[in-house]
Amino acid sequence: MIRALLPPAVGLAASPLLFAVINRTKAFFAGRRGPPLLQPYFDLWKLLQKGATYSRTTTWVFRAGPVVGLACSATALLLLPWGNLPALVAFPGDFVLFAYLLSVGRFFTVLAALDTGSSFEGMGASREVFFSALSEPALFLGLAAVAVRTRTLCLSEMVGAISPSAWAAEGPSLVLVCAALFAVLLAENARIPVDDPTTHLELTMIHEVMVLDHSGPDLAFIQWGAAVKLWLFGSLLVGLAVPVRTGDAWLDGAAFAAGMLAVAVLVGVVESCMARVRLVRVPVLILGAAALTVVALVLVVR
Amino acid sequence: MGNLIDGVTALLLITNLMLLGSSFLSSCIRIVALQGVAVGLLPILMHERGPLWRPLLLGVAVMILKGGVFPFVLSRAMREADVRREVEPFVGATLSIVCGVLALMLSMWLAARLGLSAIAPGTLIVPAGLATMLIGLFVIASRRKAVTQVLGYIVMENGIFALGVALAGGIPLLVELGILLDAFVAVFIMSIATYHINREFDHIDVDQLNKLKG
Amino acid sequence: MIATLLLVALLAPVLASGLCLLMPRPGAVLAVVRTGGLILGAWLASLACVAFKAGALYGAGGWLYMDPLSAFHALVLAVVYAASSVYADIYFQAELADGSFGLEQARRFGSLWFGALAAMTMVLVSGNLGLMWVGMEATTLITAFLICVHVRPLALEAMWKYLVVCSVGVAFAFVGTILIGASAQKLNLNAYELLLWTRLRGSAASLDPAFMKLAFVFLLVGYGTKAGLAPMHNWLPDAHSQAPAPVSALFSGFMLNAGLYCIMRCLPLVEGALGGSGWAMHLLIVMGCISIVVAAAFIAFQHDSKRLLAYSSVEHMGIIALGTGLGGAGVFAALWHTLNHALCKPLAFFAAGRLGQVYGSHDLRQMAGSLRKTPWWGAGLFGSLLALIGVAPFAIFMSELQILKAAANARAFWAMGIFLAATCIVFVGVLRHAIEAAWGESPVEPQVENAGRASQALVLGGLGILLLLGLWLPGPLSRAIEQAAAVVRGG
Repeated sequence: MIRALLPPAVGLAASPLLFAVINRTKAFFAGRRGPPLLQPYFDLWKLLQKGATYSRTTTWVFRAGPVVGLACSATALLLLPWGNLPALVAFPGDFVLFAYLLSVGRFFTVLAALDTGSSFEGMGASREVFFSALSEPALFLGLAAVAVRTRTLCLSEMVGAISPSAWAAEGPSLVLVCAALFAVLLAENARIPVDDPTTHLELTMIHEVMVLDHSGPDLAFIQWGAAVKLWLFGSLLVGLAVPVRTGDAWLDGAAFAAGMLAVAVLVGVVESCMARVRLVRVPVLILGAAALTVVALVLVVR
Repeated sequence: MGNLIDGVTALLLITNLMLLGSSFLSSCIRIVALQGVAVGLLPILMHERGPLWRPLLLGVAVMILKGGVFPFVLSRAMREADVRREVEPFVGATLSIVCGVLALMLSMWLAARLGLSAIAPGTLIVPAGLATMLIGLFVIASRRKAVTQVLGYIVMENGIFALGVALAGGIPLLVELGILLDAFVAVFIMSIATYHINREFDHIDVDQLNKLKG
Repeated sequence: MIATLLLVALLAPVLASGLCLLMPRPGAVLAVVRTGGLILGAWLASLACVAFKAGALYGAGGWLYMDPLSAFHALVLAVVYAASSVYADIYFQAELADGSFGLEQARRFGSLWFGALAAMTMVLVSGNLGLMWVGMEATTLITAFLICVHVRPLALEAMWKYLVVCSVGVAFAFVGTILIGASAQKLNLNAYELLLWTRLRGSAASLDPAFMKLAFVFLLVGYGTKAGLAPMHNWLPDAHSQAPAPVSALFSGFMLNAGLYCIMRCLPLVEGALGGSGWAMHLLIVMGCISIVVAAAFIAFQHDSKRLLAYSSVEHMGIIALGTGLGGAGVFAALWHTLNHALCKPLAFFAAGRLGQVYGSHDLRQMAGSLRKTPWWGAGLFGSLLALIGVAPFAIFMSELQILKAAANARAFWAMGIFLAATCIVFVGVLRHAIEAAWGESPVEPQVENAGRASQALVLGGLGILLLLGLWLPGPLSRAIEQAAAVVRGG
């Protein structure tokens, strides 16, 4: 029980670190030193100390958005296995719940954005919904390819069954799934090349524009929720891409941590090397990822 | 070996989808070159019996031609014709990708329905080749520029080549080389034609070639 | 020995093609084209005669192969090519005079002209289906630039369409060829025998029927594109109308037939694998009927003489396909029709090309009164149009009648009905234009010049032979066609 609680707890606690690693990587590419590794924690702490400002047009929906978002992400953590350590909650078809928990979180974030009554935030909300509708098939098809390969519908068993021998047998399709999942990770977490988390230009923003009106603890919840979401996708990706299943908890844990670090660095590298694509090209990018998973599925199904 | 073949097959399919999604002519040419190299690997990987030098010669010839010569010729034609660098398709990139995926499904179904897959068991080369062929046709039909039509032709040729490797591995080398020569000449002539079309019409948009009717 | 003869037929055009590039003046190129065309045509024709005598010629382990079917087509090619070469001299001399036919154009034309012969010969003499395909694709590529000897926008458009449509079409034919190879898996052939026609023909019954069906669909679409069968004919009217007249003549007179030849080559293999079920033949009948109907619809409202002739080619290719599909006596009639059409259509293009030069337009309404003003070529056009629509004593009427008879024998009454109805439409449509062109009043005054001896010979010879064949089919020729038909029937 304690062991099973460990992954969600670590995820909740360590997820802001991913942002720090990404920022350090970007700073390295830009020739700067970058903020300290604990900076995201300082930010969260600072925001939690502050009071929140609410517009008079908003209702309880606006206040619920950040909380529900974080809660959904945190709940999804319970479904996520860690190497061959199964998740706390595991049942056939749980990956659907996993995806829809994230969707519920997004739904409330979008509602909160619409609740402000600002056309500006509505625009961001519509983009967010459009792109996530596109990335959902990619996620599901990718997981379906893995499910077909491992003959199980349970996320824990799927990830647990990914071993070096599975990679040897189905290498190409797993590579495709991982590539597609990485693209979904970038899209869902509003990273370059889909969205630029640092920009504040209304023409290009997607995710960032939705949360402009949140302040204080609400903003802290949103940022923490975003970090957890990145952690979720990252650990899913690492679970598939790093087939280290020795049974030794320390070794597996170290491999997992290294994998997460690598994912964060990779995101940083992508952000440093690529430009944000034009908004009209974003669907092409995400659909391309979905197409990759179709190819993977085809390779697996035969 | 099976994994390598699968990898090459996947590369074949991915390059197809990338071609459908990309919006710059130069990147299209690079993608098709990559696909040419992938296709050239097939005869070498699929080789089972007989002397190795035959598939090796064929594969290397294909790789040099489709990975090196074609892109060079096309880039030159593009540069000399001074065309705009965007693809400007009739069918947008998003819809094109969806069509590409549909083509893949269709060819999976066809290959299964017609019993073609039984010839090269355990690999997906037959449906992949069919899909590549269909996507090549789609590119020819849905793209505005003469250069992209040439690219579509090359992609179609690649698909047929993959089919040929899978279905009738034992085609005599002389015939294979003849086919390759034909493909080369076709691309060469098409690029010359592209140049002429551009000079006479001030553009290479083939949808403007519509004076002859009835 | 035999292999050398066949190889000479294959390589001599290549040498002539090189020779054209070395000529110092456009006139010299034309002289090479004329004499070379006659000599090579004669060589090919005599080779065909030898093949008819011997039954079949083999060379290079069966890779070079000439049986009565290919010999018959070689004969057709020889006649069309020689006549077109002589005519090319006449046609381009006129352009030489006004300076639009420079050395560059002449060299390009000459070398490609002989190159086209080499490619077409390759289609005919290769016993390997793969090599046959290579030859077919080569004809597309080599003849593409013949369409734009003069680089003009419209010619470029026609050439581009021709290049893209035919390349894609012929690529389909290659898939068909691959599938034939795949269907022979059970035979365990080695690489050098895999696509050999003789080898496959010998064991056609043990080819995989499902694959052969699929292969034939691809082959029919692929080579059908090259043959101009509807609905894959889009390139044809454009290419024919924009190409110089000798090139149009070669296209219609032989290149389309080469496409049908390839289909005929594969027909016995398919029918053999299917146990003579007639499935492939039915497909051919359907394609033939579609072509006839489509062509008739377009001919009725066509004023451009060369486009009209091009659609007429679609119609006649449809008729030949129909005849072949009917089987039995229909195959004989179809092959005879091939010969008749190949004699008549080039003549019509010759006349239309010359009149086009004289009147400055290919519009039939502009050419009105051509019989009065330019009697030789006017008569050539009028006579060949009459022959093409099947006026009684000409040979085309006879072969069409035989195809009708074959249809009646095969109880394919619907095909017969379509054929008759479409032919009637074509008859009325073309006759209207032909009478107008022959006796009408033209708004344009042509720059009349006397037709030379060669022109007179072409017109007289063409119409004379058509008339003669209509009245009396010589025994040796009849036997030769029968031999060729036997190959198609696969008996």
